[in-house]
Amino acid sequence: MPEAAANTEQLDEHLLEVVRALHGAVKQGVSHAGDPKIVDPAIADCKEILDVIMAGNVKEWLN
Amino acid sequence: MFTDKIELKDVDKMDPEFRDLLGRVLTIQADCEIGGPHLYVEKMLPAAPTKLDQLIIARTAAEEIDHFRKVARVAGDMGVDVSFVLSQPNEKRFVDTFRGLITTWEDNSVFGFLIDRVGRYQLEEFYDCSYLPLQRILPDIVTEELGHIDYGYNKTRELLSKGDEQKERVQRAIDYWYVRALDMFGRSGSKRAERYRYWGLKRRTNEQAREDYINEVNPILLSLGLKIPDPLKGRRYV
Repeated sequence: MPEAAANTEQLDEHLLEVVRALHGAVKQGVSHAGDPKIVDPAIADCKEILDVIMAGNVKEWLN
Repeated sequence: MFTDKIELKDVDKMDPEFRDLLGRVLTIQADCEIGGPHLYVEKMLPAAPTKLDQLIIARTAAEEIDHFRKVARVAGDMGVDVSFVLSQPNEKRFVDTFRGLITTWEDNSVFGFLIDRVGRYQLEEFYDCSYLPLQRILPDIVTEELGHIDYGYNKTRELLSKGDEQKERVQRAIDYWYVRALDMFGRSGSKRAERYRYWGLKRRTNEQAREDYINEVNPILLSLGLKIPDPLKGRRYV
């Protein structure tokens, strides 16, 4: 059996949480697409989550 | 030709060339998965024409991040760390197409329509491949890629219905992305592609896959009233 790369499990778990959070925010926004009070914060949540992923500070996420 | 099916537990027993090629193809695949969101999230998430489109961009990015996660897991389990691609600048992406930034809605739409379709082709190369952990993650990923392609196609069609000026802008985007799409298949007669095929990691030669893509895309372009760009103009890998 090969030895797994360091942090494989941790990264997988972290990204899975990120993906679930994004899908949650998207679902919230889509199901209230006509209500700015709900859809605007949902889009803002998506942007905030995606900004962190796009910044790519993996060490920071895993700490 | 190698025809066995390999599980994670058998990887250490495999020829170093198999392990190298598998590690390489997983790294490139991971880079392409995360390379998409890096192209369009920054400018298109805030600038999409409707709130629903903004949410669909976020959902598409979520799905691509999940694809990255799945590929990174397959690679990580066999000892190949691909996490560095999460933080590398776009200019360092393995595939030229992902170097840059999408700044217009036409480009964003055509990117889904043409480039995500190449993504589907690349994933289809792994169907029935010799590495079973890779084969197992494919169905869900391909299903989601089909959704991205449809969204890109529908948005392109929507733009084309908005008059001649808009049609010209779409045609310019097609001209730009079409040659990049063809380049993504790599050089014809590539020796490395032959080794991928030898080890059962890919099914078609680069030129076969490219030809299949052209045969699928060209009729769609014509049906939309668009011109087929010169397939050689601006190409880097022929």
